[in-house]
Amino acid sequence: MVNEKEKTGGQVLEEWKEFVWNPRTHEFMGRTGTSWAFILLFYLVFYGFLTALFTLTMWVMLQTVSDHIPTYQDQLATPGLMIRPKTENLEVLVNLSDTKSWNQHVQILDKFLEPYNDSVQAQKNDVCRPGHYYEQPDNGVLNYPKRACQFNRTQLGDCSGLSDPTHYGYSTGQPCVFIKMNRVINFYAGANQSMNVTCAGKRNEDAKNLGDFTMFPANGNIDLMYFPYYGKKFHVNYTQPLVAVKFMNVTPNVEVNVECRINAVNIATNDERDKFAGRVAFKLRIIKKT
Amino acid sequence: MGKKKSEVYSVEVNGIKDIETTDEGDGKEKYRGLKNHLGYKKEHQKEELKKELDLDDHKLSTKELEDKYGTNIIQGLTSTKAAEILAQDGPNALSPPKETSEIIKFLKQMVGGFSILLWAGAVLCWIAYGIQFSKDKSASLDNVFLGVVLALVVIFTGIFAYYQEAKSTNIIASFSKMIPRQALVIRDGEKREIPAEQLVVGDIVEIKGGDQIPADIRILASHGCKVDNSSLTGESEPQSRSCDFTHENPLETKNIGFYSTTCLEGTATGMVINTGDRTIIGRIASLASGVGNEKTPIAIEIEHFVHIVAGVAVSIGVIFFIIAVSMKYPVLESVIFLIGIIVANVPEGLLAAVTVSLSLTAKRMAKKNCLVKNLEAVETLGSTSIICSDKTGTLTQNRMTVAHLWFDNQIYQADTSEDQNAQIFDQSSATWASLSKIVTLCNRAEFRPGQESVPIMKKIVVGDASETALLKFSEVIMGDVMERRKRNRKVAEIPFNSTNKFQLSIHETEDPDDKRFLLVMKGAPERILEKCSTIMIHGQEQPLDESTAAAFQTAYMELGGLGERVLGFCHLYLPEDEFPDTYPFDVETMNFPTSDLCFVGLLSLIDPPRSTVPDAVTKCRSAGIKVIMVTGDHPITAKAIARSVGIISANSETVEDIAKRLNVPVEQVNKREAKAAVVNGMELKEMSPEQLDEVLINHTEIVFARTSPQQKLIIVEGCQRQDAVVAVTGDGVNDSPALKKADIGIAMGIAGSDAAKNAADMVLLDDNFASIVTGVEEGRLIFDNLKKTIAFTLTKNIAELCPFLIFIIAGVPLPIGTITILFIDLGTDIIPSIALAYEKAESDIMNRKPRHKKKDRLVNQQLALYSYLHIGILQSLGAFLAYFTVYAEQGFKPARLIFLRSEWEDDNINDLEDSYGQEWTRYQRKYLEWIGYTAFFVAIMVQQIADLIIRKTRRNSIFQQGLFRNKVVWVGIVSQIIIALILSFGFGSIAALNFTTLRVQYWFVAVPYAIVIWLYDELRKLLIRRYPGSWWDKNMYY
Repeated sequence: MVNEKEKTGGQVLEEWKEFVWNPRTHEFMGRTGTSWAFILLFYLVFYGFLTALFTLTMWVMLQTVSDHIPTYQDQLATPGLMIRPKTENLEVLVNLSDTKSWNQHVQILDKFLEPYNDSVQAQKNDVCRPGHYYEQPDNGVLNYPKRACQFNRTQLGDCSGLSDPTHYGYSTGQPCVFIKMNRVINFYAGANQSMNVTCAGKRNEDAKNLGDFTMFPANGNIDLMYFPYYGKKFHVNYTQPLVAVKFMNVTPNVEVNVECRINAVNIATNDERDKFAGRVAFKLRIIKKT
Repeated sequence: MGKKKSEVYSVEVNGIKDIETTDEGDGKEKYRGLKNHLGYKKEHQKEELKKELDLDDHKLSTKELEDKYGTNIIQGLTSTKAAEILAQDGPNALSPPKETSEIIKFLKQMVGGFSILLWAGAVLCWIAYGIQFSKDKSASLDNVFLGVVLALVVIFTGIFAYYQEAKSTNIIASFSKMIPRQALVIRDGEKREIPAEQLVVGDIVEIKGGDQIPADIRILASHGCKVDNSSLTGESEPQSRSCDFTHENPLETKNIGFYSTTCLEGTATGMVINTGDRTIIGRIASLASGVGNEKTPIAIEIEHFVHIVAGVAVSIGVIFFIIAVSMKYPVLESVIFLIGIIVANVPEGLLAAVTVSLSLTAKRMAKKNCLVKNLEAVETLGSTSIICSDKTGTLTQNRMTVAHLWFDNQIYQADTSEDQNAQIFDQSSATWASLSKIVTLCNRAEFRPGQESVPIMKKIVVGDASETALLKFSEVIMGDVMERRKRNRKVAEIPFNSTNKFQLSIHETEDPDDKRFLLVMKGAPERILEKCSTIMIHGQEQPLDESTAAAFQTAYMELGGLGERVLGFCHLYLPEDEFPDTYPFDVETMNFPTSDLCFVGLLSLIDPPRSTVPDAVTKCRSAGIKVIMVTGDHPITAKAIARSVGIISANSETVEDIAKRLNVPVEQVNKREAKAAVVNGMELKEMSPEQLDEVLINHTEIVFARTSPQQKLIIVEGCQRQDAVVAVTGDGVNDSPALKKADIGIAMGIAGSDAAKNAADMVLLDDNFASIVTGVEEGRLIFDNLKKTIAFTLTKNIAELCPFLIFIIAGVPLPIGTITILFIDLGTDIIPSIALAYEKAESDIMNRKPRHKKKDRLVNQQLALYSYLHIGILQSLGAFLAYFTVYAEQGFKPARLIFLRSEWEDDNINDLEDSYGQEWTRYQRKYLEWIGYTAFFVAIMVQQIADLIIRKTRRNSIFQQGLFRNKVVWVGIVSQIIIALILSFGFGSIAALNFTTLRVQYWFVAVPYAIVIWLYDELRKLLIRRYPGSWWDKNMYY
């Protein structure tokens, strides 16, 4: 034990060298060539077997999982709300003197709204009966493809961005923010009663700074006909309903905290932990040189 | 006797010198450090001893002494003066060996083992938070939290280990704290009892038989005072003390009594001349602290293991840190990965489990009379390859016992077992009747009164060892000796003395009609025979002729050759006419005949081996442990005992035996032919270390006789040069250096001195050699079981590590969180890993060689590879199956998960699409992640149950071992399940712990893998048993 401690650096190096390649026994890292061959072969076979085993068990497991509908939706009782344009830190920043600052939002929105063009909708989707769920039972045919209801871009009114020189209001400091509700398969939002989205300033001063706003469709209504959702595999052209909010006269140069929530019988909006359950909070900031 | 003593003394002083020459002679590099260390101490020590030799207290007259110490031998010191000196010199007690301070011990626990790694992890966590905070004031506190948890883990495991250590140290502390000794001292002219600690130089003390001498004293007056100096010199003969100055050397003169030696009989008055550490004993005890304490083998093994694991942890951590950075992960995140990898790799609970296992074994050993002072010594005993054992008390019963009788021209054997209930020799002869009478009457030893209910063998006797033996012998055979003595009233007596070499007494006979006196005598056989003219054969007196004298000689030689102390017995009925019942016997003038007596018989005495010892020695031998006897006794006695207990086996010979058999001089015998060797202390003194090595290597059965306790140190060092793990037993103060030097020092609980117990790692409560063997067995078992514990614990590290690797490389959501890992390591796995300490041995562990301390590692390559790359990988697969099952069933199929990480963890993405087109908020995803953690955790737990079951054995099938024999394993399994249930269902709402409730089926996802683990391990064991020595055996047996 005493001698071990007194090993010099040189000795240690020697020992290492010998461990890596021992010329006497022709051992590389403590094993001869044959020994290495054996051990590598063993691990090849062993891991081959393990790969097969894992593949098999995974395959069996995936066999039990359906393609069109998830086995469980334990976490999805309350759909979340989200805004477009999706910005960093959910802050919609509009610098009126700097086109670049909002142009990216505009581009995102252009792209986002493209599928909502009336022509596209008319071509792909059905005209549905408002105020009623658009249920499409399989009727004995397994996984029968589902049709979607039309949500026309024109329904978004001033926020549709169609032939709009103000670019959704971004160039004039009256930006449109689009609210959408997360898709959840087989979720009957509203429980057969009408629902709508409302927005408000988070605190009192926010409410003051927020000013007026207009909602499209009117009252921020979301129609029942867009529900239920049948999953992306069979509900291919599903068009998510949107609510656009156009903020008319936000006090410039202050940060305004806005919160929009959905008012629906079966959607709770007061989850302490999930800040996006049935609601969405974002910041608005219009920078205007005085 | 005086001569013997001087020899012992010279051996002792030379013994110290010997050590030095050994060191000087041994110029090898490796001993350099030790030598310097010891050398300094001993130089110092020698100076001290020299100073002692210059002391002339023993030469001074009483008057001069009084002047020197300012005392009065009648009045003693005054109390004030005594208090003054006490304040100046300090209390009269040996200062305990320097203990490492408690704080240092505690801090050592805090930084030892894996703690450094975890501290590093904690600090990295805080640094990471600091950086995050400086960038974003609202940074999540997760990292701080994790850092605190890591720190708490280190602190709590540290406190736990410290507590365990302290608990086992306390056992011994309470043990060594004996009842404070009292000393009878004269102060202010009156006798008073004070605690021995308060004695000061110049005090006048009185001692009597049974007392321990409270300090070094100069004897001023003595009445038949005899002391036992064995703890100082190793010599067990009682030595008389008187006030006469008999030798220049203070250590040899009779008028000095030494601290801590015992006064056996008589009384004495003495003046204290040295107290506490300045006493001779105190100085020798301090020599022991000069011998470095070596690391125990298990400490080395654990260190080795910690190095392996830490090495793996750090290298994998660094590799993946580099990979992460080159995969364009931010450095900060890479650091957090690094922490995760370290936490996953370090078995946080393992060291605590090892400590608990060791202390469980220590407890078990304490029940078997092995008290372990240092927890790690538990295993050391198991790896012991040489035991250097004392003879007296350890191998033998430490009491003289009648072993053989010779009368009627025949040798009879007596029962020497511990209880002596079967004396089977022929007691019908009339000669025996006479002999028994002599044995009973010519004996001054007496039972201490008030022991009626105590078995004869355990009764306390006042008298010397031989007389005690004879008293008990006759009490066993003939019943009430004291009554018999009363009936044969003693009228005169000459006690034994070394010039006469006989003892004589004259008694009235118990027959009221027989008015003759009976003269009985015992003593050295040749002296007794000289005084006889007749010999009794079958009750008849016959003239002592040539042939009977020759028969006597043969018997005497034979018994002497057995190493036994032989006594002769004779008697004479004094003629009634010459010696009427009023005859005034005078022992001074010897007015009675002491020649022409009638020789009756011989009795031989020996300190017989303990009955359990031969068996224990055989066990040691089959366990590959070499037993070396080291004794201060005469070589013949030592050899005889060695033979009778099997240390020298029946068919092996020493060089001398061969020489005798072949009738050639000793020098011509090929030393290698002799298996056995008896080495005399004087020979040992002449030997160079190389010669000693040669003796130790060439002979398997060795007895060192006439050795001083100091020479033990040389023998121990010799054995250690052979890479042996050496256990040494000892009791005397002088043994303490050897006890310290040994890999495991074993002190005797009954006969041992405090100094020896202090220096030892273990205390044998019953002084019995056989207890050492049970200790060896326990030690080996715990080594095997620790292997199992470590293998069990290491396995899941891979299952904890893989998630991080996959997380980094494939970008899937994190399968298991750092905190969750800690709950496995310190929660579900703790009790099962301890449960393996209760596992019974798989095969006869006492039938294999002791492990080679450099080759048979606790954690070897096979163990690491099998745990990490076989079972560990299997476990990871099982756990990942559970993980993928949860995600797939909840909406994220495996394909969707790949490289999803950055979006998954983005707090601003609250509409992340799953495989079905559904959209998830961040919190919904986070919660799903926790379900994943919990499922992964449960999967590991389920597979750890299988792992626990397979680890019960390393070679045998689980069915051979018995699935239910170790109940604690089942307690462990139940605890795993209950802890998991509590975590899942009880803490589901505590977000910080990241546990959630699980759907019932997720608990069973990994079960197929658990079964595969078990089947695979059974296959492994089957092939190992089927093809011993094969490639498979070599690579798969850990």
